[in-house]
Amino acid sequence: MERTELIASLKEILGEENVLASEMDLTLYGYDASLEKGRPDAVVLPGSTEEVSRIVGLAYREKIPVIARGSGTNLSGGTVPVRGGIVVHLSRMNRVLEIDIPNRTVTVEPGVLTLDLQNLLLKKGLQYAPDPASQKVSTLGGNFGENSGGPHCLKYGVTTNHVLGAEVVIYDGTVVWIGGKCPDHAGYDITGLLVGSEGTLGMATKIMLRIIPAPEAVKTMLAIYDSIEDAGNTVSAIIAEGIVPATLEMMDNLVIKAVEESVHAGYPMDAAAVLIIELDGMADGMERQAEKIFDICKRHRVREVRLAKSDAERAELWAGRKGAFGAVARLRPSYLVCDGTVPRTKLPEVLGKVIQVGKKYELPIGNVFHAGDGNLHPLILFDERNREELSRVHKAATEILKICADVGGTISGEHGIGTEKLKEMSFIFSESDIDFMRDLKNAFDPVDIWNPGKVVPARQAATA
Amino acid sequence: MGQFTQLNEDLAIAIGQERIKTDQAFTARYSFDGLSPRAVVFPKDIRQVKEIVSLAAKAGVSMIPWGSGTKKCMGATPSGADIVVSTEKMNHMLDVDVANLTITVEAGVKFRDIQARLATQEDRCYLPLEELGKESDELICSDRAHSGCFLPLDPPFSDRATIGGIIATNSSGPRRLLYGLPRDLLLGVRFVTPEGEIVGAGGKTVKNVSGYDVSKLMIGSYGTLGILCEMTLRLLPLPERMETLVFEFPSISEAGSFAEAMLRTKLLPAALEIMNSRAFEAVGNRAGIYAKTGSCLVMVALEGFEEAVERMKKEMLAAGDRLGANTGIGLKEDKHNPLWLAVGNIQTFNSDKNKDLVALKLTYPLSEWKEIYAYCQNLIAGEGLKHTILCHAGSGVSLINLLPEDRRERDSTVGLVSGLRDKCREKGGNLVVECAPPDLKKRMIVWGNIGGAGILMERLRNAIDPSGIMNPGRFFPTN
Repeated sequence: MERTELIASLKEILGEENVLASEMDLTLYGYDASLEKGRPDAVVLPGSTEEVSRIVGLAYREKIPVIARGSGTNLSGGTVPVRGGIVVHLSRMNRVLEIDIPNRTVTVEPGVLTLDLQNLLLKKGLQYAPDPASQKVSTLGGNFGENSGGPHCLKYGVTTNHVLGAEVVIYDGTVVWIGGKCPDHAGYDITGLLVGSEGTLGMATKIMLRIIPAPEAVKTMLAIYDSIEDAGNTVSAIIAEGIVPATLEMMDNLVIKAVEESVHAGYPMDAAAVLIIELDGMADGMERQAEKIFDICKRHRVREVRLAKSDAERAELWAGRKGAFGAVARLRPSYLVCDGTVPRTKLPEVLGKVIQVGKKYELPIGNVFHAGDGNLHPLILFDERNREELSRVHKAATEILKICADVGGTISGEHGIGTEKLKEMSFIFSESDIDFMRDLKNAFDPVDIWNPGKVVPARQAATA
Repeated sequence: MGQFTQLNEDLAIAIGQERIKTDQAFTARYSFDGLSPRAVVFPKDIRQVKEIVSLAAKAGVSMIPWGSGTKKCMGATPSGADIVVSTEKMNHMLDVDVANLTITVEAGVKFRDIQARLATQEDRCYLPLEELGKESDELICSDRAHSGCFLPLDPPFSDRATIGGIIATNSSGPRRLLYGLPRDLLLGVRFVTPEGEIVGAGGKTVKNVSGYDVSKLMIGSYGTLGILCEMTLRLLPLPERMETLVFEFPSISEAGSFAEAMLRTKLLPAALEIMNSRAFEAVGNRAGIYAKTGSCLVMVALEGFEEAVERMKKEMLAAGDRLGANTGIGLKEDKHNPLWLAVGNIQTFNSDKNKDLVALKLTYPLSEWKEIYAYCQNLIAGEGLKHTILCHAGSGVSLINLLPEDRRERDSTVGLVSGLRDKCREKGGNLVVECAPPDLKKRMIVWGNIGGAGILMERLRNAIDPSGIMNPGRFFPTN
């Protein structure tokens, strides 16, 4: 199908104003928060499931790629249209359709912003637990596609643990419901497979999420260290002593300084590392848990432990963490964030190695991450215009992921594979592991239109 | 027949004659739903499973993966069961990493042995070890620098079931209320596909979005996508204190109000189990607890920090008084563990006494439970059938065992099951027949409503097992 013909057909489905095809539009929708770039043939803004279904039906008949997109905060190139096609921007489908308190579910359209839903629920004493750092702008559809994490996932699990079902448009435009309010659905856990599949198996047009009562009590602490190793060891020790906090976040000196210079969270500029430790749940016994944590910190030579005494103080401690990526972005023109994840006991060892990688490639690396679940986020700072530096960045990132894979970890904890980590898939998967994923992909996407070129690396061309 | 002889010879070369049993006296022990396998094989590891599956796939014979056989009757009757692949010899714990709160085990490891291995020096364990016999003593961890962990699941048959079987059937129990489901605990898997390939996914980290979440797909797949061989699961620190409260109520109305009131508080009970008196009798007897007058009982599991358990106990006992409980009994850990083990074994107790048992699992949106419970009780009582009901309040699941005692009652189960299913469906739920005598099962709809996702499931099944040899017909009818 010719491009002009495609655009005409799309306009017929969506109306003139909901199809974008200018030079500027195509450039704007050609990238996301990763370093990847591409260019779509058209961008559409559907307002209903029916419109999405018709778009997909057209794409299926004409074999045109379809790329779902929320706010584009994705960090692995998952929303970049590498083979052109139609970018389906779901921002207009942004209604909260139902809050069902007796059944503890909420049903949303994919374009609802994560934090908007959370604020809405909080007013009713309820919460949707996953809290990716980008929650202010990220959409729930994006969270679904990427299986997003966040600081509170240590205790509550990631997005997939909170998705109960979805209305999904499948490869030929048919609309089906998977999962729902009834638990233990008979048959395969299709919902579980689709969450985190980065739009390569289908497109969710309604999402049903689990909501839980907001915790009765919360206790937030900031532990300040003179050595990054001591901070890392504290993390393992807390878990080993039988305490599972709601969050265990860590930042190193580079990040602390950047944060202080931008959001002024009150972190000491000379600290080697800080931990944000948060307990939540029933109030009873929390005091004793906090004391136990305090003891563990002391055993690991903590300089100081600050306890947030009010909601305002708590918000201030968190402001630093939530603003960390933004703060670091002020230091150099670009950064690449790695997402390697390791068994938490390997954390101190891996942190040491990451520092070595920075030295080897002469690149500043800041560390701000979900220490409790071993999810590292080394931020490699550089200038994208410097091609030589950029090539060192990619080498350093690959090396860091290899380090994570080698200690029994994985190459992505919560940001996804996208296009960025396709070549590193072989660090953790054998060819037969990947073949199985290819079989799944074929079953759900027989004509290869769903976000092609992502997640599953193409089979190596057979040598003749 | 000749083809099968050839297969046996090939298998003997691949895994050793001693791992293949074909004499009828032996294979008869592995019969179910009126099917008897022609051979039972005992691979020692995933590599041998690969050998077996590759050879069987080439010969086009059907395979049934088998752990302890506690759930052999679940699902529709397979269209073929040529070879049973037993995981009995795959019983190694490959990596017990308590500091990381993960464990990696082979599929044939028994659930109870995992709990025993994670117990503390004082022998605090999530299952009552003394009831589990000698085997587990040898497994108790000797290098325990930690304060004790557990695998936070309480599936049925937890003293016999293997972890492979539990995951493959998506088994869970009353304490899912606090701890979640297998899908919240399984971090990684290795399995053998129906075409004989070893496939791994996931790993040892709680967060992992590298590639598709294949582990999820294996949960509840009943072996139809491959044979689960190894899996990594999340652990939790053992609760400081564990106690049970038992409340007796005159009827479901008061019991229901109590359960609903408790679910609206900020308290976090591990389980709120509502049961009829016959169910409690079967369960309580095992732990030496006897109900006095109540026709409807609520058992509450409290697990957590000292102070939290203490407060929950106080507030719940007070609420029980206020809401019409005849009595409220508090039971410490020594009774708590055997009691909840018994809850998971109710189907066994029932089937020991009644060979015609029909076991049903009803699922429905949380808000519908009270109406469904009352409807079930009336409908079953109308037929005069003895039965047990266990309702996992707050989870949307009820387990009903029908215990027909004569031919008329036996026949009536078919109509009852269909009536109960209709009610569940009307309320947006479903009913699955988990166990029934083969002749009755043929007259029942086993899976109920698979829903719109059925199209995707069939495409998936056909892509992964195109020749339909893995547990064929267990989910989807085969031609």
